[in-house]
Amino acid sequence: MGFIRKICSVFHDDWCSKCQSKMDERKRQLYMLPMTVGHYVSHSNLDYYKQNLIKVNYKADIPTGTYACGIIVYECPKCNHRAVKLSIFLPVRDEEKYEDGMYLENGEMDDFIWK
Amino acid sequence: MENKKVKKINLSYLLGYIFAPIVICAICYMISYLAFPKGTMAVILIMGPSILSFIWWTFAGRFIYKQKQKKLEKELDESGFKRNQTFYGSGCTVIIDVENGKIALLFFWNPTESFILPANRITKTWVDDGKSGMGFMAGSSRVSFLFKVDDINIRVNTFTSNQRWRMDSDYILTGISKADKMVEILEEARKKEK
Repeated sequence: MGFIRKICSVFHDDWCSKCQSKMDERKRQLYMLPMTVGHYVSHSNLDYYKQNLIKVNYKADIPTGTYACGIIVYECPKCNHRAVKLSIFLPVRDEEKYEDGMYLENGEMDDFIWK
Repeated sequence: MENKKVKKINLSYLLGYIFAPIVICAICYMISYLAFPKGTMAVILIMGPSILSFIWWTFAGRFIYKQKQKKLEKELDESGFKRNQTFYGSGCTVIIDVENGKIALLFFWNPTESFILPANRITKTWVDDGKSGMGFMAGSSRVSFLFKVDDINIRVNTFTSNQRWRMDSDYILTGISKADKMVEILEEARKKEK
């Protein structure tokens, strides 16, 4: 059973990779990524996101043709393990065009998220 | 330049582009037939113009258009036109100066002329997502933004394909996003000019 849960946890962002329990959503925030449609460049360096992400409250606050980044912080209620999911997408009318994503489990973005 | 009526197609350029190589080929074939029926010269006179015509039809249009784009951008920079947004469409280049409410246009089939107009000459702007079909069959093969200048509809494609794509496909969404953005900027420039 534990083995199956371990495999399943790979496919669930909100499952703890340490104890395979369902994690709680601790924080969810939307940011604007100042890159326009047709000019998206993927960045593996997290400092880029820390320097450029602009906090917004609603998707409507993001100008047309500009990328958005959704950050979700998960925390395991059993082992307190924390994970951060970054989803970069282009909001288009009522749809979202998913562009890139990152799953961070070692607190790489903590200084930015909790500042 | 600002009062010129917008002309999307230069008929003499279009006809010249299509028929000039045909005429040159015909002349060369005739010379070959009359003066050099055999030998190296005959091969040159038959193959040379044929290959050059193929190259001309395939690449020359885009080359001329690209060169004119560069020239227009240089001219605009020199004249103090602020290039806030540029869209390089395959059939039309749209350059917008939002601050001064001006737009510059260059057409693929009329590269000899460029048009700089006050944005208030645009009477209507809209996006055409090319959607056809219903429900799960809904799809599109072209997304474009359009605007009306001097009662002429100018269509600039932001996405074209020889296939039909679902409306939620990445290609269509990117095309719609680009078109929405361009319409928004055109409207902004229009308001500035008013």
